[in-house]
Amino acid sequence: MASKAHYKKDKFELMDWILIIILTLGMLCILIPFFNVIAISFTSYKEYMQSTWVIWPKEPTLAAYQELFKDNRILVGYKTTLCYLLVGLPLNLLLCSTLAYALCRKGWMGRHLIFMLILFTMIFNGGIVPLYLVMKSFNLTNTIWSIIFAQGMNTFNMILIYNYFCSLPEALMESANLDGADEWTILFRIVLPLSKPILATVVLFVAVQLWNEYFMSMIFLRSNDWQSLQQVLRSIVMDSQVVDTASTMVDVGEKNFTDAIKMAAVMATMIPVMCVYPFLQKYFTKGIMIGAIKA
Amino acid sequence: MTSLAKEKKTVTAAHATGMQKLAINFKKYWQIYLLLIPALVWYLLFAYYPMAGLQLAFKTYKAKIGIWGSPWCGFQNFEAVFRDMYFWRSVGRTLLINVGRLVINFPAPILVALMLNELRVGRYKKVMQTVFTFPHFLSWVVVASIMTNLLSIDGLVNSALSAAGIPTINFLGSEKIFQPMLYITDIWKSAGYSSIIYLSAISGIDQDQYEAAEIDGATRWQRIWSVTLPNILPTISVLFIMTTGNLMTAGFDQIFNLSNAATKNVAEVLDMYIYRITFTASTDFGFSTAVSLFRSIINMTLLVIANKGSKMMGGTGLFG
Repeated sequence: MASKAHYKKDKFELMDWILIIILTLGMLCILIPFFNVIAISFTSYKEYMQSTWVIWPKEPTLAAYQELFKDNRILVGYKTTLCYLLVGLPLNLLLCSTLAYALCRKGWMGRHLIFMLILFTMIFNGGIVPLYLVMKSFNLTNTIWSIIFAQGMNTFNMILIYNYFCSLPEALMESANLDGADEWTILFRIVLPLSKPILATVVLFVAVQLWNEYFMSMIFLRSNDWQSLQQVLRSIVMDSQVVDTASTMVDVGEKNFTDAIKMAAVMATMIPVMCVYPFLQKYFTKGIMIGAIKA
Repeated sequence: MTSLAKEKKTVTAAHATGMQKLAINFKKYWQIYLLLIPALVWYLLFAYYPMAGLQLAFKTYKAKIGIWGSPWCGFQNFEAVFRDMYFWRSVGRTLLINVGRLVINFPAPILVALMLNELRVGRYKKVMQTVFTFPHFLSWVVVASIMTNLLSIDGLVNSALSAAGIPTINFLGSEKIFQPMLYITDIWKSAGYSSIIYLSAISGIDQDQYEAAEIDGATRWQRIWSVTLPNILPTISVLFIMTTGNLMTAGFDQIFNLSNAATKNVAEVLDMYIYRITFTASTDFGFSTAVSLFRSIINMTLLVIANKGSKMMGGTGLFG
């Protein structure tokens, strides 16, 4: 970072060491819970019974994962969440970018009015109750379409894309227009390929949002055929907790073993995010800066 | 008489050109109108149609006849809402929790950013940022599961405490420390991510200011205090005002996933209350919608005030 150049001259003083210690402690506070989750998910229940103080299992085992995938629920979770991504993500991008492009092109009537009406939805909305009733009246509850449509558009992301499109030179679109190109040709052949950074950012935001989709799924999806991954995770974690507290008849060994399954379920939900995260880091940093400049 | 006729004529002429203008405009820009349609249909169906559903707040909902056919009942629903003790309690809880967030969770990312900026080991700094930012991308379900695992009676923290001879603490099952737990888990999850905005503001500071400070013999603390902080103050105030705009929203996902039977009394914020009366009990949708509408109006008012405030502080506001 450029702003640091002037410090280089100073010698390494006490404050630097204090900073390193504080920040390292902070980093450990974030890392240790993850290591604990990983360790417990690989622990056999015999070992866990001897001591719940697991740093790393002596005999790592995949038993908890095998048990987890025997349960049909986690597969339903993967299926549902993958459907969100495969259908919801393209739909969201299509709606956001067509709208952003149309709003960016000047001259057509009603542009200002439509812009105002769209911004209004950012500060005022019906809330979850009317949305639920609307979904119900469309017969969309208990199907993934309720979630896909509810997440089909994100005004904040649309504005990010809009700002980016508008920052492109207008002459580009004008000259393509004069050459007789259709508006959608301009959008898909010229504007979108030039907007890769912002599209990557928005893809990341929407993908994370869909992967973590929980609240609406909980309300709209109440069948066993469609359950989002987060819903499944919660039901696995909560169900075994209910067993923990409600019945003392379950023997201790079995109870502790469910801890391993719970943590295996956490891993199953987290690993995809962990794998993608390092590659996408530069995009979200860029994205949040664009957002920050905006705000 | 003739002047009147003339006037009429010009009026119709202007009108005709107006219509003509629209037709010409439509002919010229029909492709753009076509591109608009999908998104506008979405806004109509999933934003404005539910908004129209808010009329239910003034109706007695009858499932058979639906929203539009149900009979009007004036402000009856609101009277019932305002008489409900649990409603006021949840409003109070929401405000209490959010004021705490403003005091505790708001400064956290600023501190993280200042510390990271002062850190002089470049590569290590990058690793740290990667680690600090990661939890933001996990859902509250995952974070709550991790926390439950870590903080439960036989979890790692309590095992360590008892090994050290300290009495164990029921972190997630006690009403007293539920609120602090919300703040701690929130910092754990999002302080790193939120610090990115401040870091980018810091990186935009003019180097000359630091050099001038150095020539004046400023110590490191003085440089932070009188160069870095004043320079990111606009960012801080804009974000602060934006946060106050969300005073009535208390993070449903976090509270829903971290609370349990033992803490349900202190966890019932407004969103939890709406959830409970709508989706877990036998529902009076008119009543729920009235609460929902109340919440939406308060939220809108707060946001508009916040936006005005941010513009007054020299920021661009939420909508540019």
